[in-house]
Amino acid sequence: MTDEFAVGDTFERVSEDVSREDFVRYAGASGDFNPIHYDEPHAQEAGYPSVFGQGMFTAGVASALVRETFGLAGLREYDTRFVAQVWPGDTLTTTLEVTAVEDVETGTRVEADLAVTTDGGERVVEGRAVAVV
Amino acid sequence: MPSLPLADLEAQVGDTHRTVEGFAVERGKVAEFARAIDDPDDVYLDEQAAREAGYEAIPAPPTFARTSFFPRYRPDGIDHNLGFELGFDRARVVHGQQRYEYERPLYVGDTLTGDTTLTEVYQRDGRGGGTMTFAVLRTDFTDESGSHVLSDYNTRIETGQAIEGEGE
Repeated sequence: MTDEFAVGDTFERVSEDVSREDFVRYAGASGDFNPIHYDEPHAQEAGYPSVFGQGMFTAGVASALVRETFGLAGLREYDTRFVAQVWPGDTLTTTLEVTAVEDVETGTRVEADLAVTTDGGERVVEGRAVAVV
Repeated sequence: MPSLPLADLEAQVGDTHRTVEGFAVERGKVAEFARAIDDPDDVYLDEQAAREAGYEAIPAPPTFARTSFFPRYRPDGIDHNLGFELGFDRARVVHGQQRYEYERPLYVGDTLTGDTTLTEVYQRDGRGGGTMTFAVLRTDFTDESGSHVLSDYNTRIETGQAIEGEGE
């Protein structure tokens, strides 16, 4: 069993000042072309103050911390719930907090809660990751 | 409320459709995707760096299976409804949750097939009034040898009123 992780350990990663350009780049890279994420008049007609980021954009940004912390080889589960929108200009802080560490046959199974919060203090994604390291 | 009765949606629970074919994990797409999620790490960009980090090839980011949404990977007749008739009003549909379960990472060079099963349908009262209808679609991806690589659980919600979440 590795002693690399303990319950309560926290990890953090920041993506500063996400922009309309970032949403467009993600649309092109992912194939998600819902215009609510890049077409300002369309978003405003639908009742929003501006375009907002794809939930999967934020899930992707948050996955960077999961990769950094656990690597990908032993990643077993990655779960994200989209609870609020990300607006242009937001700075996104992803945190992982280890909630369980358990010895298993193939290594050490680590569970962590995940959250993405904006600089305005709003939580936009909640989730969890599980890895065997 | 969807344009179909809940019973019609429930009748499709357990049905499976082939929804992804020839989903090739391409090196250039992986690099582009890694940059788009603000994670241009060497393991996603450089084969030698990936091997030195212990991977058998360049791995794809954890949410890369989303790119199977590109129409070129969809069999004929399959659109964003993934072969199901949910009767959702697309203008009120949000992406509520996304969960992945992995057997192993996706690697550059993999070519995957996806089969989507409607696993769950239910309704709840929305906070702002109206009825919210939830549908959970599980896509199982297999590689060329027929081995399971990952499962993708996509929760779609038709909101009762104006959208307050992530457009699907």
